Amino acid sequence: MVAEKDGSSPPKLTGERPPQQQQPLGQLRRTKQQVTDGFTVKAMMRNTVVRGPPVAGAFKERPTKPTAFRKFYERGDFPIALEHDSRGNKIAWKVEIEKLDYHHYLPLFFDGLCEMTFPYEFFARQGIHDMLEHGGNKILPVIPQLIIPIKNALNLRNRQVICITLKVLQHLVVSADMVGEALVPYYRQILPILNIFKNMNVNSGDGIDYSQQKRENIGDLIQETLEAFERYGGEDAYINIKYMVPTYQSCLLN
Amino acid sequence: MANADIKPKSISRAKKWSDEIENLYRFQQAGYRDEIEYKQVKQVDMVDRWPETGFVKKLQRRDNTFYYYNKQRECEDKEVHKVKVYAY
Repeated sequence: MVAEKDGSSPPKLTGERPPQQQQPLGQLRRTKQQVTDGFTVKAMMRNTVVRGPPVAGAFKERPTKPTAFRKFYERGDFPIALEHDSRGNKIAWKVEIEKLDYHHYLPLFFDGLCEMTFPYEFFARQGIHDMLEHGGNKILPVIPQLIIPIKNALNLRNRQVICITLKVLQHLVVSADMVGEALVPYYRQILPILNIFKNMNVNSGDGIDYSQQKRENIGDLIQETLEAFERYGGEDAYINIKYMVPTYQSCLLN
Repeated sequence: MANADIKPKSISRAKKWSDEIENLYRFQQAGYRDEIEYKQVKQVDMVDRWPETGFVKKLQRRDNTFYYYNKQRECEDKEVHKVKVYAY
């Protein structure tokens, strides 16, 4: 019996299939695996691997459309000229800003926020800066007309455009009295994109993130902007921000 | 206005930033020596200034376009030496 057992088992190993031949077979099986989408009949089969869901594209840049700002600039409708000096570029205004019709020009300049190329991008940014700085009480009545251009600019999801728009928003909030409060009803239009990009920050350990120094870090800029909104938005600001950006924590309460 | 033909006697470069240098910097960006020359050329008595800081706010250039300046300091340290200080 014992001899029989001894004799029977080794031939089983050698006789059936040598161990070297098993590996190619295994590889064959692996290659047989097919990739398929989830929730299909194929997905239930044994040799299939279910592919993950496709990217939703929340961070993907959207295509730009030609802006009204560009059209007006090329037609020469703006009372501005470019001046080059030692410090870079500056806008020379052909009429006094105080005499400009803010209802016409300010929304147009905000429309230029969507631009990414020189000189449109520069004129829009600098023009808004000058108009906000010297607008005083002419800014407040125009706020409702600025929302759609701001929303369009943010919706492009282009990093450079978002950066500039956030800085403009920070300036807008402090540009005149009551502007912060006037923006509160429009948080629903502005804040969704801020919510998407709020966590866009780099965990570089103890390395240097140069975007912080250059004020180009979108996560930080969004945090600053939301804090500015809360500070200047009156007592309803916080709850409205919290509604649109649930992870926001108050900088005034607590 | 009375001393319309007043001319500077000497010139020196600014060494350190101050409110005065800041204003000179703004006048010189717009193409004038200083406030005296601006008032001479433009025939004005007053220059628009920021009430908070006292810095020049708006200047009309020789080609009649306008330059607008910020409320805060614009003349950075690296540009202080470019400012010319005229003495009368």
